[in-house]
Order: sequence, then structure tokens, then C-alpha cells
Amino acid sequence: MYLALDADEREIADAAADFLANEFPLQRLHASARDPERLAAFAELGWLGLAAPEAAGGSALGVVEEMLFFAALGYQCGPLAVFTQVLAAAAAQENIELCAGLCAGQVGSALLVTPPNGDAPVRLVGDAAAPYAVAVDAAGATLYALQGEYLHEQPCLDQSVGMYTGPAQCLQLVQHSAGEGAWRRAQVAVSAMSMGIAERALAMIVEYARERETFGRKIGAYQAVRHPCADMAVRNEAARSQLYYAATALHEGHADAAMQVDAAQLLAARAARMNTDANIQLHGGIGVTDEHDAHLLLKRANLLERLLGAGRSLRASLLAPEAGEEAH
Amino acid sequence: MDLVFSEADLDFRARARSWLRDNIPATARPAHGAAAAQFDRDWQRRLYEHGWAGVNWPQEFGGLGLPEVQQVIWYEECARAGAPNYINTTYVALMHAGPTLIACGTEAQKAFHLPRILSGESLWCQGFSEPNAGSDLASLKTSAVVDGDHLVVNGSKTWTTDGQHADFQELLIRTEPGSQRHRGLTWVICDMTTPGISMTPIRTMLGDEHVNTTFYDDVRIPLANVVGEMGSGWKTAMSTLSFERGTGFIGDQLALYERVNQAIELARRTRLEDGSLAIEDSAIASRLALIKADTLAIRAMTFAQISELQRSGNPGPKGSVMKLLVTGTSKALSHLVAEILGWEFMAFNGDRAEHPWTYEYLWSWVYTIAGGTSEIQREIIADQLLELPRAR
Repeated sequence: MYLALDADEREIADAAADFLANEFPLQRLHASARDPERLAAFAELGWLGLAAPEAAGGSALGVVEEMLFFAALGYQCGPLAVFTQVLAAAAAQENIELCAGLCAGQVGSALLVTPPNGDAPVRLVGDAAAPYAVAVDAAGATLYALQGEYLHEQPCLDQSVGMYTGPAQCLQLVQHSAGEGAWRRAQVAVSAMSMGIAERALAMIVEYARERETFGRKIGAYQAVRHPCADMAVRNEAARSQLYYAATALHEGHADAAMQVDAAQLLAARAARMNTDANIQLHGGIGVTDEHDAHLLLKRANLLERLLGAGRSLRASLLAPEAGEEAH
Repeated sequence: MDLVFSEADLDFRARARSWLRDNIPATARPAHGAAAAQFDRDWQRRLYEHGWAGVNWPQEFGGLGLPEVQQVIWYEECARAGAPNYINTTYVALMHAGPTLIACGTEAQKAFHLPRILSGESLWCQGFSEPNAGSDLASLKTSAVVDGDHLVVNGSKTWTTDGQHADFQELLIRTEPGSQRHRGLTWVICDMTTPGISMTPIRTMLGDEHVNTTFYDDVRIPLANVVGEMGSGWKTAMSTLSFERGTGFIGDQLALYERVNQAIELARRTRLEDGSLAIEDSAIASRLALIKADTLAIRAMTFAQISELQRSGNPGPKGSVMKLLVTGTSKALSHLVAEILGWEFMAFNGDRAEHPWTYEYLWSWVYTIAGGTSEIQREIIADQLLELPRAR
């Protein structure tokens, strides 16, 4: 029983943080409306295939390592396409050639956030020109060929990603990978990105509170600022500990892993939602300006919270009568 | 990271579970008074005699010398079995005085007190807060002068929990006349039978009298009872509190898990005024699910904390984070159950066993105030974890 990062895990977390801080700093999002995905930069260092099979050029590491990477990605509001690509590779894992192409970033994929359901329109986020689109739910991950010319672009609150709707006919089934493995990995990755956002929000306000002065004093000396910051830290600690536990339980195949992951997703979403709010509020006027980074975190938190559907579905496992038997 | 318990851990868990199953007291703990204190002493003696006391205490002091993770397993099994809660009249002895003496006591102090603490023979109470020094502990005024080989103490202390049952007190006093704040304080062992000590009970909103104000009128305490150095009592007191804020509440953290599961069961069978089941109410379900998630996180944080302890030998400043999360979640739970119960919640005669949820509701403020209020915990986090500028 050891629930802190070991030396190897720390190395991966540090390497991911360094790479993203250098190549994808948060401030880049002010430069252009649409975030260039630069998948090749991720592929080159193997980040797209952390948990993919070695036959597909992946590193065959586990969900814990993947979680550490996505936490670092979240911290910089990194390209969402990286998440989509990892899911697409999971959907294509029985087609090694395709899986390898996805891990290498040679072919791209959009993410279906409203998957096909009869004649109802579908919704995607990402690159409409990508040849594929991936959908994931508890039953499995599905890869479709995408004909993007039938899609209509919608404006998106998070301007760094494209959002599209279109008819289900623009999708052709290519590959399906049954089982809930991809869904749980997706939950862990989204939770990790949310946690990264929440941690960035705290880091941002703490840095400002040490510098900014009002009434002749640093604002970090006022309890009206200190106490909400402390509450942000509590939400982060809860989210991080639960996510570490859940990812490890999933990796080790515990019977209660699904419940642990659901709890992690709820807590990470709460931390991201509430901390990005508090970060803006505590900054004061500068916090609502476009030139500031704070709104980027808020908007990304909203995107992430919707990515895997409404959180209501997470309640069932947590409120099940036998929930948590294995905990003892 | 791994969640794998070692063979030794699993074996310890199995033995603890089996022993607890056969040894849980047949009768419930009396709600209060001397009978409650006797119940606590008897249970602690039973643990001691059967080799379950002081799981993580060093063997040389009568403990089992087992790793921290097995201490956590012990509390998990106690909570699971519904064993008597250790946050009772033995708490200050086992969780404050014992660890403080192990860290700072003299050989003679350790040899005399530690076996008596582990066996339930001595109960202890705390003597830190004063009527005008609570959150601002360093402003305390109760003082002592040296007279030969004794300290002579005058002043008063308050919130002396279970002081009426205690044999000894951890007393923090000012021993350098005119000293300010954290300087000039001394942590001393006070025998509660010493002449000059008197106590007035304070009735709380729970309807009980578990706390007191204690008065000291020329109370003579041998200098041999000083723990740590004369004048460095603040350091000794912080080691006491850092333990409490570190791992001292692990059992309660884990007991919360059982209470949440009981609340989920309650919501599954309780009908609201409109006849629907509480669990089917969307607002209730969503609050309950979040509380359950927080409870899982508290358990994960407990393991993260002991892993950190194992790695660096120091629990770090995360104890205040834990206290805020545990007491906040506990309060959210008892308030939610109060809503679910409707009028049933109002039926309360002060008996914890009969009306546990109403009792827990009232107790939730004790939780968020005692041992450093939530506001003080936020200050500690702002200072030590976030390193924000200080106003004080």
C-alpha cells in the first residue's frame, strides 16, 4: 500500500510537465483563436501511445502513467486533440496498423460528444477535417470514418476547440472495441485534466495574492482572500488523492474500481468548476479581461465537465447499497 | 503507487476482525458520566490485555510497534465492527499525552505514564485553551512561578473535555513572568488530585456536560513534571497538535465512511412528506453522492498521508486539509440526514444511542470548532501550504 508517486511515476509527471510548459504554455491560447494541435510533437516523445500496445508503437504503460500525463496536460489547457487521439487509438486497438497510425499522430480523429442515435444529429469537438471520429461509452469505444463536409460549425465557449453538429450519415463505422476499459480510461483522463485545471487556478491566484496590493497590503494577507484559497487547496487535495487511488484501483483491477473512478470524476469536476470560479473572483477586475488567463481555465473546465455526459450517471455506483464492500 | 496490502497487513486485518467480532462489548456505552468513563477504561484495558493497544506505538513503550498502515487497518476494522469509538475519555491520553511524552518526555515520565495510558488506568484531559485564549492560544495567561523544586500555578483553563474523569492534565502555562506570545511557556503534567484545582461544568447545546472550566489556586506541581524544556512549551504543544492534526483522527475519518453508508441505507427506506423515497429525490441523491465521494477521498487521503509519512518521515502540513475536509463532510452529512428525517429529526432527548443523527447534527459544530476552528485551519493552510503573506 503506497499512495504517493514512486520515482518512475514522478519522472513521468515531471517530464510531461516540462514538455508542456515549454511547448504548450497556457499563454499560447491568446495568440490564435484555434489551438494548433501539433500532434506530431506529442507523438515524437511517445505521449500519444503511453498505454497503447507495443505492437502499435506504444509504451504499454498503465492508466496511472496516462493519468499523470493528462494532469500535466490539463495544467496547461493542452490540446484536447491529444485526449481524442488516445481514445481513437483505444477504439482501434484490434487494428494494429490503424492504431499505430493514430499513436504516431499520422491520422487524426475528432471526438463525438453526442454519438449517433437514430436520426438525431451528432455533435463533435475537434478537427472536422480529420478522417476519423471516436465515441466512447461504458459499452465500448467506436471509431467512425468522418465525412466532415456535412458538418456545421458552431461557435464554442472554449475557443481553442472546434465544435460541430451534423447528420449521423456523415459517420461510417470502422472499428469497435467492446468493454468498459476505454470508458474508464477516458474518465480518468478527463478527471486528470480537470484536476490539472483546478491546480492551475490555485497556483494562479496564489501567485497574484503574493504580489498584488490593496489598502497598502498584499491581498494574500486578507482572510477574505486567504480562506477561499485554502478551500481551493482542500478541493484539490481531495480530488488528487481520490484520482490517485481510483487510477491505481483500476490498474490493479479492483472490484470497486468503477465506483472509485466515478467518485474521482465528481471530485475533479467540482474542484475545476469551483476553483476556476474563485480564481476569477479573487483576481478582481483583471480576472474578467480577455488578456488574462483566468477565463481560459473556466471555459476549459466547462468543456471537460460535459465531455463524458452529465455527471448524474455517476451517482448510481456511489449510492448502490453494496458500494464499497471491497474497501474493507 | 500500489494498493496492495502485504501478507502481514492482511494477516493483521484477519486477526483484528476475528478478535473484534468476539470481543465487542455486549452493552452500549452509557451516554455520559462516570459510567461512560468506566466503560472507556474497561474497553481500553481489554485491548491492552489482549495485545491490541498502541498498534503503532514503539514496542519499548508497550506498543505493538507495527507500521502505520496496520494502525489504519485497526481503525477500519473497529469502525466496521462497530467497536467503541476511541474518541472518548481516553482520547487525550492516547492521542495527545502519549505521543507527546514519547516525543519529548523524560525516561522517568515515559516509564511511569505510558503503560498507564495504554492500559486505560490513567485518563488525561487537555489544559491549553483559556477563557481569553482560544484560537489565539499564544495569548494564554495562566502562569506559574518556581518555588524550590515546584511550580506554583494560578489561573484558569476552559473547554476541559472530560476533565471531571481525568487523572492527569497536559497543562500549558506561562512560566516566565512578563513573557509574550509563544515565548516563556511550559508544558507540564498536572496531577488532577493536587489541592487547589476546582472545576465548573459547562452545559453545551447538546444538553450534556462534557466540558468544564478549570481553576488553579496555588497549585503545586513538581518541576520533574515539566515535559520538554522550561520555556519551550510552545514547541511541545505544537508537537501535540501536529499529531492530532496529522493522524490523530484517522479512526473518525474511517468511521465517517460507515456513517455515510448508513445514511444511504436510511435514504433508501425513508419516505419524504410527499410519499416518495428520499433516495429518489434528485437534490438529495446528488448531495449524498458527493458526500460519499468525499468520504472515499478522505480514505484515499489517509493512505496518501501515511505514504508521505513513510517517504519523508513527516506528515507535512496536510493535517489541516484533512481536518477541514473531514469536519466539513461530516457536517454536510448530518445536515442532509436532518432534512431526510423531517419531523423525526426533532424527536430528541439528548441520548446519543437513541437519536444518533440529531446528536451528530449538534456535534458537527463541536467538530468544526474543537482542536482549532475551521477558520484557524484555513489560516494554517494559507501560511504553511500556500505560503501566502501574513497579516499577523
